[in-house]
Amino acid sequence: MLEAKQLKKTFGDYDALKGLDLKVNPGDIYCLLGANGAGKTTTINLFLNFITPTAGTAEVCGIDVTRESLETKKLLAYIPEQVMLYGNLTALENLRYFAQLGGHDYSEAEYKAFLDRCGLQSGSYTQRVNQFSKGMRQKVGVAIALAKQAKALLLDEPTSGLDPKASNEFSALLIQLKNDDASILMATHDLFRAKETGTRIGIMREGRMMQELGTEDVSHADIERIYLEHMHGDAGKFAA
Amino acid sequence: MITSIARKEFAEIVRDGRFKWTAAIMVLLLLTAMMAGYQKYTTAVRIQQAAQAGTNEQWLDQGDKNPHSAAHYGNYAFKPAGPLSYFDNGISNYTGTAVFMEAHKQNFAIGRPASDQSAIARFGDLSGASILQLLLPLLIIFLGFTAFSGERESGTLRQVMSMGVTNRQLLWGKALGIGTAVLIVVVPCILIGALALSLAESIDHADSMGTRLVTMSIAYLMYAGIFLFLTLAVSALTRHARTTLMILVGFWAFTGFLMPKAASEMSKFMEPTPAFGKWMADMRAHQRRGFDGVPPFVKFAKYTKEVFKEYGVDNVADLPMYFVAVRLQKLEEYDYPVFDQHYGMIRDAYAAQRKVQDRFGLFAPTLPLRSISMALSGTDLIQHVKFMSDAETYRRNMVVKMNDYLAKAAVDLNATSSSSNYMRADEEVFAIVPPFEFEPPELAAMIAEHRNNFILLALWLAAVIGLAVVAANRISLERS
Repeated sequence: MLEAKQLKKTFGDYDALKGLDLKVNPGDIYCLLGANGAGKTTTINLFLNFITPTAGTAEVCGIDVTRESLETKKLLAYIPEQVMLYGNLTALENLRYFAQLGGHDYSEAEYKAFLDRCGLQSGSYTQRVNQFSKGMRQKVGVAIALAKQAKALLLDEPTSGLDPKASNEFSALLIQLKNDDASILMATHDLFRAKETGTRIGIMREGRMMQELGTEDVSHADIERIYLEHMHGDAGKFAA
Repeated sequence: MITSIARKEFAEIVRDGRFKWTAAIMVLLLLTAMMAGYQKYTTAVRIQQAAQAGTNEQWLDQGDKNPHSAAHYGNYAFKPAGPLSYFDNGISNYTGTAVFMEAHKQNFAIGRPASDQSAIARFGDLSGASILQLLLPLLIIFLGFTAFSGERESGTLRQVMSMGVTNRQLLWGKALGIGTAVLIVVVPCILIGALALSLAESIDHADSMGTRLVTMSIAYLMYAGIFLFLTLAVSALTRHARTTLMILVGFWAFTGFLMPKAASEMSKFMEPTPAFGKWMADMRAHQRRGFDGVPPFVKFAKYTKEVFKEYGVDNVADLPMYFVAVRLQKLEEYDYPVFDQHYGMIRDAYAAQRKVQDRFGLFAPTLPLRSISMALSGTDLIQHVKFMSDAETYRRNMVVKMNDYLAKAAVDLNATSSSSNYMRADEEVFAIVPPFEFEPPELAAMIAEHRNNFILLALWLAAVIGLAVVAANRISLERS
């Protein structure tokens, strides 16, 4: 479970996050929507303890990330917009390395099974990843999350720049992880994908959570309308 | 965890085409330098042994003559090549390889290889030592400068830091991985060099060779460690790999090129040596006026009276020894303290300069390593000073033996006129002077002499490890 309580982050004079409250339960895919600068990536960075909060707490499975940084990181998997891997290593080697960093080790067959589960072509396992497309890298990123047996996933615009097919495949993988009871927090600009993949949606603006929605309660058109009105600062009437 | 990081770091490095080329060039240079050094070393050993044997032969075959004339005929001492001079030629090119030993005069070493070299030799010899001292740090810098800052730029650092790895684990893993990559380049070359040396003929002082090699290896490993951890520290402290590289290459140029020259110039300024002409004139004048202000001939007149009194005689002819020989020896001995003082002054000035240069090692780790490397190779000032000292001891002994022999053998010439008071000695007499043999300083003494340099290297290593740990702990993704 991921939980933010009155989470604040200030960079100099700029308030990036103004008291965010957020809860992502096991089996949830919580999609954070918002324009650039809304505080989505800051939220993810705070959960990763890459940055320290100015006030409030971020917890992973009930553990404060600033107090037990290493322990919470063991429970997390992080998939950024572009999964950064070591170009001179193969997909298998990258997976093995990151799994070992996460404190896990598996047999060759198990590593291959992770990659297979993520839909990576078997011929690519032993290819150096500097030849991989973004979609293939994202799949390796998910395989790393699987191998890490993460309880919670933090995804920062993971489908940005992916073609529709790759994007669909990626969404299918997320649903698999959700079904494994992982808590997934995904920052995205993709309203369609948020509705299709997510279980809940949070719309952020200027460091505040403006509205939370259950994806089953609203249509694609509703999400788009609500989102745009929040972006234009006129969405009070839609608040649940 | 650390071994996983090290394995990945190592795999990444060895698969990088730049590493393959850099390593190949490094190996090629190192092997070429050591082969050239080895060839030069074996040639030098052969020439030195042949020259020393030749001069010993010439001494014996100089023809029948008066023993004191034989002392004037003189002999040469040829300096043996240092036991690891094939690896580090040190200051051998500038100190001279032979000393002419003759009666009444203490000479400087002659035959400096540098005087036969072209101006390009000013850039220094291509030796195993110079390559390891200058290019090894560069190799480490090129392999390690992206360790943190490059990963930060490429984004992999975020990925890694999200896995729950501690900064220290990352630091030690990277150090181990990069260190291993460096060692696989350098160690085989060193082993080949050591093997070649062990197979070489006419190696002197082989008993201390193992200790020398081990001590030398430790010193160079410490030096490599300094650059490894410095590289990691700077990489952790800087945000961009380009900045890391600029800082490290700047430091490399500072410690490898600027500081040795600056230290040398500063040491000359702080501990100046006298101009040769003035020094020589001062010494000659000092000889004439006598060491303690009493001219030698006045001293000898007094000594003559004491001898007459001791033997109860009034006439030279009644003395039981050839008094001309006694006079020659006494005049020789009156010069000893003068030589000791004036040559000692030069020696002390050079030693003081060396100490000043060593102190600059506080700012540049290349300096203490260079001193240690030369010392263990037997090509430093201490070794040369010992050679000069041995040669002077031999010269004095040679003159004493000839004069003593003359004093005893020609006692019957005391009563004859100077034009006819001449005796001839032959090979059998000359053979009482044993061939010159150089006893290099004890290795333990050499190491003790360089204790401060070892301490400096250790301090450097401890400081940069400390810096690297602090820098790694400070790694933040706050603004990345």
